[in-house]
Amino acid sequence: MTKEQAILQAIALTLAQALVLLAVSPAIVGLIRKVKARFQCRQGARVFQPYADLAKLFRKQPVVSTTTSWIFTATPYILFASTLTAGLLVPAFASQMPLNFAGNIIALVYLFALGTFFLILAGLDAGSPFGGMGSSREAIVASLTEPAMIMSIFAIALTAGSTNLSTIVHKTALLEGIVTDPSPHLMALAALFIVALAETGRVPVDNPATHLELTMIHEAMLLEYSGRYLALIEWASAMKLLVFLSLIANVFAPWGIATTLTPMALSIGLAVYLAKVAGLAVLIGTIECMFAKLRLFRVTDLLGVAFILALLGLLFFYILRG
Amino acid sequence: MTDRLSVEQQLQAAFPTLVPDPPSGNNMMRYRLDQARLPEIARYLHGQMHGRLALLFAVDGRPIAQTYELHYLFAVGSRQPWVLLTTELAGEHRLFTSITPSIHAAQWYEREIRDLFGLIPQGHPDLRRLIRHEHWPKGTHPLKKDFSWDTVMGRQQGNYRFRHIEGEGVFEVPVGPIHAGIIEPGHFRFSVAGEPIMQLEVRHFWKHRGVEKLFEQQLLTAAVPLAERVSGDTTIGHSLAYCQAVETLLRIDVPRRARYLRSLFLELERLHNHLGDVGAICNDTAYALPHAHCSRIKERLMQLNDRLTGSRFLRGVMCVGGVARDVDTKMLAETVNELNRIETDFSELESIIVANASLTDRLETTGVLTERTAWDHGVIGVVGRASGIDQDVRRDRPFAAYDEIPVNVALYRYGDVRARMRVRMDEIHESIRLIREIRHNIPTGPITGEPSRSPHHGEWALSAVEGWRGEILYVVMTGENGQIHRCKVRDPSFVNWPAIQWAVIGNIIPDFPLINKSFNLSYAGNDL
Repeated sequence: MTKEQAILQAIALTLAQALVLLAVSPAIVGLIRKVKARFQCRQGARVFQPYADLAKLFRKQPVVSTTTSWIFTATPYILFASTLTAGLLVPAFASQMPLNFAGNIIALVYLFALGTFFLILAGLDAGSPFGGMGSSREAIVASLTEPAMIMSIFAIALTAGSTNLSTIVHKTALLEGIVTDPSPHLMALAALFIVALAETGRVPVDNPATHLELTMIHEAMLLEYSGRYLALIEWASAMKLLVFLSLIANVFAPWGIATTLTPMALSIGLAVYLAKVAGLAVLIGTIECMFAKLRLFRVTDLLGVAFILALLGLLFFYILRG
Repeated sequence: MTDRLSVEQQLQAAFPTLVPDPPSGNNMMRYRLDQARLPEIARYLHGQMHGRLALLFAVDGRPIAQTYELHYLFAVGSRQPWVLLTTELAGEHRLFTSITPSIHAAQWYEREIRDLFGLIPQGHPDLRRLIRHEHWPKGTHPLKKDFSWDTVMGRQQGNYRFRHIEGEGVFEVPVGPIHAGIIEPGHFRFSVAGEPIMQLEVRHFWKHRGVEKLFEQQLLTAAVPLAERVSGDTTIGHSLAYCQAVETLLRIDVPRRARYLRSLFLELERLHNHLGDVGAICNDTAYALPHAHCSRIKERLMQLNDRLTGSRFLRGVMCVGGVARDVDTKMLAETVNELNRIETDFSELESIIVANASLTDRLETTGVLTERTAWDHGVIGVVGRASGIDQDVRRDRPFAAYDEIPVNVALYRYGDVRARMRVRMDEIHESIRLIREIRHNIPTGPITGEPSRSPHHGEWALSAVEGWRGEILYVVMTGENGQIHRCKVRDPSFVNWPAIQWAVIGNIIPDFPLINKSFNLSYAGNDL
């Protein structure tokens, strides 16, 4: 393969992954809603309803408060771009991502943090009481999820000997350097799952279905948004959820992912990937039907548990290695 | 303090010159007093005899007498007659002595009287406008007889001063009166330090409809549809209370069958509302599963209402003298069968709800209304019974068929959201049991009675009904030619709203919607 061909291939692969993220993420949100509706004896909206919602929002004229600064209008783009970029660092259907060189797990965490940071500012920007409340709560949650998230992936990174997600996924998929005892993995998995629920604003941390502003975390920051800005944020939130699901699916159970770039392997990789994230979405939908939301100040306890689990995962790795 | 005599004797012993007014019926003792003596006796009734201030209202005596009358209604113990203190403001006198400094429960009543009649409670610690929002022009007091019901009001500018807490890190969070969900308007002003609530001020009365004024334009026998619409979810409670008052005035002997049917409809109304509430409480903790099932069961109940009466909200069922719709034996049997199925269904759901640890964690210790605070506000109904206030009109002052089918009152002491939910759950089972009893005992016979006299001008009657929220009071006073001279409506919401301001203190802001839902008070019934 010539150099040009390799570059073209890398670009094609990156574009393909971006397309998959953009295209699949609304369906994941729709699937979770569908599962919840079925549990509640309701028919529920179609799984593909979120696409229609996004299309509708993109057509609508956004209303922007006159008291806001440039942060308010820039945030949706920053959030969307940072989330999409973060998504390209996580292998979805092929294990070796061309953007592997560009960033590792730490870049991933802080790309998310960048989006969150701007969203918090935007929540404060319009000066409405609910936005400020949402921002302050999001700041608490974000500051607690960050260490737990890094720790849980470090536990896995130690096994693979790299903080690059592609390397971790690729090695795990090929069963290289796997420890015989899976306990560090299990603990890190539990930690990351809790983090995923908290970061994406799901029950028991936040309730994406509520209309009660006083109880909101994530949604409270978005109350001032409308039209295409809201569409971009909603889409970015859906992508963030999908990226977390990909992370969980591929870091802990990468098997089935395309380790080579043959068409056959890629199609199997895509099919397996979709099945895995759909399975996780069903799991999240089920959890949301089984539990009440935690009291706001109990959220810190839950995230503390996630951190401790991740830390134990790290310790176990050293203990088991002897 | 067990029988009627002893209440009277107690008062007599404390105030030797006090003589009850002769027209005292057997369920009420009336005393006419001077302005000057009233606060002292009211304080004695409230403090020493543990009398709950149930109602405080004014009447504009014109055109017969150029006086305003103030009536203070106390409930002393259960199965005791009401104690009513009456005082008069003659001529141009516009001041009366406030009893709020010693009886906290009077605070909203006295502000209400000030707004609607222009009488000023001297010594009231908080004389801001309550119902008459600042944009109402000065001197607008709609319940005065010289204020025409169809007056178009102008607007004026004005500011309402909220209570402020100042200090570092203390913020005010205004919520409403326009909300995100489909709910009625109400403004809540929180002072918070971080998330914990230091103070809540409730500012209501955004949609004053002038219901009491509208009653005064109606004939005694024609106002039932208006009573049904005082609070949309309490059709039977309000219409029954109104009908009972009118029946007392017209001396109508309501047939036994009609009284049984009235109890049946009242319990059906309680059932669908309580089921909706249990679901809604769960939903506010993001536990949507019970909400979906409660909504499903509630729908079945409303369809049952529809089959029984042709109205999902039981409209048009009550009439003066009895009920407008009979329920035949077959329908009654079908009702009981459907309720049996619903109870099985609900019991299963109940065990799921009670067993859910994450839900229990949210509900327990949230929004505690202590027995003392509840008592000081005169809190009644579901909210009161969850805080250890053992009060239920169905047992204490039986009406409809409740003297023949006794009620077991659900009582909890913790006063938190969970207690309020448990009271509702217990009452769902109790209502179904009562309906079974009704079916078993219901006699045959006519369903309406005839009036045996026409009341003379100025005569009035009181009636109390345990609606699903709690005690509903109606005072109906006759005017000329069968018109209504005055109709005082007291929904339990009016009493319970101020108490919520105390139940939330120390809780965090995200728990407020849950606490509010567990009270589930009416905005419309509060703002007449």
